[in-house]
Amino acid sequence: MVAPATLSLRPCATLAPSRAALHRAHAHAGFAPASRPALSVSCPPTRFESLRRAATAVSDRQGSAEPSEKQEEKSRTYYFLVANAKFMLDDEEHFQEQLQEKLRLYEERSKEQDFWLVIEPKFLDRFPNVAKRLKRPAVALVSTDRNWIRFMKLRLDRVLAEQFDAETPEEALASNPAELKFDKPDKWTAPYPKYESGWWEAFLPPKSSNGTA
Amino acid sequence: MSALSSSCSALLCCIYSAPSPFPRTLRSHSALSVTHRMASAMELSLLNPAMHHHGIAAKTASHLPVLPARRGAVRFRVRAAAAAPPAPAAKPGSPKKRGKTEVNESLLTPRFYTTDFDEMEQLFNAEINKQLNQDEFDALLQEFKTDYNQTHFIRNPEFKEAADKMQGPLRQIFVEFLERSCTAEFSGFLLYKELGRRLKKTNPVVAEIFSLMSRDEARHAGFLNKGLSDFNLALDLGFLTKARKYTFFKPKFIFYATYLSEKIGYWRYITIFRHLKANPEYQVYPIFKYFENWCQDENRHGDFFSALLKAQPQFLNDWKAKLWSRFFCLSVYITMYLNDCQRSAFYEGIGLNTKEFDMHVIYETNRTTARIFPAVPDVENPEFKRKLDRMVDINLKIISIGESNDMPLVKNLKRVPLIAQLVSEIIAAYLMPPIESGSVDFAEFEPKLVY
Repeated sequence: MVAPATLSLRPCATLAPSRAALHRAHAHAGFAPASRPALSVSCPPTRFESLRRAATAVSDRQGSAEPSEKQEEKSRTYYFLVANAKFMLDDEEHFQEQLQEKLRLYEERSKEQDFWLVIEPKFLDRFPNVAKRLKRPAVALVSTDRNWIRFMKLRLDRVLAEQFDAETPEEALASNPAELKFDKPDKWTAPYPKYESGWWEAFLPPKSSNGTA
Repeated sequence: MSALSSSCSALLCCIYSAPSPFPRTLRSHSALSVTHRMASAMELSLLNPAMHHHGIAAKTASHLPVLPARRGAVRFRVRAAAAAPPAPAAKPGSPKKRGKTEVNESLLTPRFYTTDFDEMEQLFNAEINKQLNQDEFDALLQEFKTDYNQTHFIRNPEFKEAADKMQGPLRQIFVEFLERSCTAEFSGFLLYKELGRRLKKTNPVVAEIFSLMSRDEARHAGFLNKGLSDFNLALDLGFLTKARKYTFFKPKFIFYATYLSEKIGYWRYITIFRHLKANPEYQVYPIFKYFENWCQDENRHGDFFSALLKAQPQFLNDWKAKLWSRFFCLSVYITMYLNDCQRSAFYEGIGLNTKEFDMHVIYETNRTTARIFPAVPDVENPEFKRKLDRMVDINLKIISIGESNDMPLVKNLKRVPLIAQLVSEIIAAYLMPPIESGSVDFAEFEPKLVY
């Protein structure tokens, strides 16, 4: 994937003012193109651009290393929470509100999205011990923001948390095809209707990296 | 058991400030200046142990401080003007006896809390307490700093128009609703602000989170108070700070009570919001349109208390913790149910069935709470609702005695058996088989759990 050099002049997208954000802000102007041709074509560059840029600058906050020019092409860390699709997309309605709130905030502040829902993520292959404990289909909440994922773990509780490194967002967010259908709840006590099925589509990664959208 | 029942009623009255669903905005308007006065007053009263009181004291009347709104010319006291009987027909205490400036603080009135700040300091001292999961607090701090609702609480002309249109009993109910909600939010502000101040040295991260939460609560309270100004009224929060009694809770009880308070607040707000979204014909006052974003604050606040509890596993992992957890859940649910059933005109006014609304809120709050409390009551057992309904009936009888023309002695004699009935219902609810629960982070069965 080749990122035009001009992209790096745009403001970086990060979450709140964290130390990581500072690093990102200092990140080098311009970076060498990463060499991952395969998936790049259909991925709208706008959605990942600063992520790429940030990837070169920010590594795990725990990690000591200040990013240096030479590390630019390094992969970056993705943090995720995963559980079965019913829990993530159907039962926990506050979860949708939260994601929408975050998306609204990012739009208001012109931040680039750094969180996604991934249905039946391919990266689960790397975590057999996680995968075997999941009902399927599974859905993961993935973000490059470690703190936020930790917060979401606190909120959702009934999820498994892990992290991995990936060279590109496409690789990180790839998913397998899966069909999602949820039965209507037996007992609906609320004086309002359920959120419409399919609300999650706004949070799926750009199409090429997602098998189901 | 008798100790339990007496503390039960004490707690019932203490807890109420939780379920009020209204939080957030200060910035503009008189509220700001009020806040300053209030902050100093707060220090006096929060720190003065003489202010502590337990349950029964709640029955004493106090003066509720209400200023005429700056712009409004009408010289009303909020309570006198609007709130005397919450719902025209039903309210504890006799409206007739109330002077223009006097308010009954009943068992169910929203409450101000204070706590043992020295113990709090010890609990959050990382040197002493090795269990503190600083990572979790760092994550929370980032979430609170993000300040999702920084620009959310901006009013528009719809408010005044809607308020002017509202007349008669509905208007009274609304004013009381705003006032109670404002008081509840404001009590959160006071407590969090003081905790933010006191914990600064021992645990700056936790302290900052408390301060940011007090920011939210101040916004919420201010926004509600501005709502009152549409009705030509305003709560004098400074006076309130000084005049209100403070209910003392040990830190662990503060954690349980405020956790529940925030989470139930979230469920109340979001339920009202989603109901009105689906049924816009009941959208009689624009404040409800703000609830969706607003209540996300409440939910986050609850998450913070969840983290605080996790940092103190001794509050979660033994049989005493289970008893207290059930007790607090029950207190909060019952208080809300009794309160709301006295004010069903409000909920019906916005198209809700009061009991169905409350039961939904209770189910959801209980499910949420089961993610952290080690035990919760089995509220989905149909017997639970039957018990609540019996409590409502008894409570209404108690209220109607208060409103009768009998001599005080006679009233008291008539009340005694009813109160005994109420207490026995509460105890019976407490003794219903509970549900074991808790965070998966603590669960022994966790390795076997399928997600």
